[in-house]
Amino acid sequence: MESKFTILLIEDEKHILEFVSKALINNNYRVITSSSGNTGLKLISSQCPDLILLDLGLPDIDGTTIIKEIRTWSSCPIIVVSARTSEHEKVLALDLGADDYITKPFGTNELLARIRTSLRHSNQINTDSDLFMHSYSCGGFKIDFLKRIITVNEQQIHLTPIEYKIVAYLAQNSGKVMTYSSILSNVWGPYTDDDNKILRVNMANIRRKIEVNPAEPKYIYTEVGVGYRMCEEDSYMQFS
Amino acid sequence: MNLNFKHKHNSLLITILLLLIATFVSIIYVQFVPNNTINSSLIYILALVLIAHYTDGYLYGILSSFFCVIGINYLFTYPYFKINFTLTGYPITFIGMLAIAIITSTTTSLMKKQAAIINEREKEIMEAEKEKMRATLLRAISHDLRTPLTSIIGTATSYIENKDSLSETEKLDLVNNINDDSHWLLNMVENLLMVTRIQNDGGKLTKSHEAAEEIIAESVLRLRKRLPDSQIHVTIPNDLVLIPMDALLIEQVIINLLENSIIHSNSKSATELFMEISDDMAYFHVKDYGIGIAPERLPYIFDGQSNSCSSDSHKGIGIGLSICKTIVMAHGGTITAKNHEHGAEFIFSLPLN
Repeated sequence: MESKFTILLIEDEKHILEFVSKALINNNYRVITSSSGNTGLKLISSQCPDLILLDLGLPDIDGTTIIKEIRTWSSCPIIVVSARTSEHEKVLALDLGADDYITKPFGTNELLARIRTSLRHSNQINTDSDLFMHSYSCGGFKIDFLKRIITVNEQQIHLTPIEYKIVAYLAQNSGKVMTYSSILSNVWGPYTDDDNKILRVNMANIRRKIEVNPAEPKYIYTEVGVGYRMCEEDSYMQFS
Repeated sequence: MNLNFKHKHNSLLITILLLLIATFVSIIYVQFVPNNTINSSLIYILALVLIAHYTDGYLYGILSSFFCVIGINYLFTYPYFKINFTLTGYPITFIGMLAIAIITSTTTSLMKKQAAIINEREKEIMEAEKEKMRATLLRAISHDLRTPLTSIIGTATSYIENKDSLSETEKLDLVNNINDDSHWLLNMVENLLMVTRIQNDGGKLTKSHEAAEEIIAESVLRLRKRLPDSQIHVTIPNDLVLIPMDALLIEQVIINLLENSIIHSNSKSATELFMEISDDMAYFHVKDYGIGIAPERLPYIFDGQSNSCSSDSHKGIGIGLSICKTIVMAHGGTITAKNHEHGAEFIFSLPLN
């Protein structure tokens, strides 16, 4: 019997807990649940889950405190569940070390896709077999990291060095949302100021080069107020 | 307490200042035109009127009138620099000044009191109006929320009660209905959340510069999630446009307008969404090619109740439009609806600065 990934679900709403764990069990995950932050933290240290699904609005401890606590000793991927209107909360959670977030209410497909992506990224780091990516492809969009060539529908696209850096960074983290601040510090270095206008300008240019209709992007999505997300690689969409 | 003290402090300061100025002006005046006591009295009377006007209560006015009488006597009447109460007409001057001080003080206090009362009454009226609006909105919302909830509960119950006799397709239909109604409810609730987002901060918005194309793209994406079959044709300007806004609110406006067009246009042709810039304003257009808006509804379309009498299954879109208006107005923009040759068009604008 193959070993299953273990997912810890920390959520205080009973019905959500029920439907999410049913969906996860149906998709071959082992699920442990906790309806409070304190027991959740205990379960993390005793059960060592492969992934944590954390609701930010818990009755006993603030969700961000839990992330801080976990990140002091574990790099286990965390996906945060939050409401749409709280962008600041999301950004804070991501900056504290959460891997991704999902907005309530969500469908099972969306949730499973996020989980697969986060598990894949943590797996890359753990085994470092896939750490160095040779290429990325999604639909007609391809990046060859070795030759630094980007093609859309076999047509080569010319990007400026900065634009390439942004696209490459997003592609290496495809499927995950990257906050403005993480992109800024990764592309321009750690001492850039917080003004993300320069990033928006570059992103507008990138979209006009790679997207068929920049008003309806297919490759790089905006998560308004939070950051950008590049669509998940084809191979992982199909085989997981 | 503190404020009261400050107030008294201010009144005292005003009194002293005005009296000093009056004395100073009188002294200078006497230098040029000697032996003209009447005019220096006039200057003091002017000061008295001003003091009574700008201070609270009678105390300062009366005290100042004493000061004025003694001051004029001492400085400007013969014998100079001596107080002499035996002058002819002296009691008249004294009584006159006292009367002026008291009358002015009384009038001023009365005026101030009346102004305060009027202010209070206006505030009460505004509050009552707000309360009325809130009540109307609440009534409309409760009504609108009950419809899909009734359907959800009914469908779920019939599923539970008849689960053995229903065919698979029938079951799927029922669950799909529940799904549709829940999504509709969710959109409604998100709209309401948006309103509280405006009202929470006392009407002030937390704006940041957002790229118009990103907002448009995300709105369309979110709408497509809910209504996957919707035909929308989106175009954006060639240059990046940054507009100060609360992104979530504006997304809600675009989603509401698009949904309104898709559902009410009764047409299969795509709804157009585009943006243009003119005169420091960004204009967002949502244009459909359908049946248009009934002319008698046009003037009230953003009032939130225009749909309450129709038998439309998608009630609440009226509320959706009124929320659009609230949001756009809070941004300092305008929103209009009109008919064109082949359908309806909604245009809202946002200031670029």
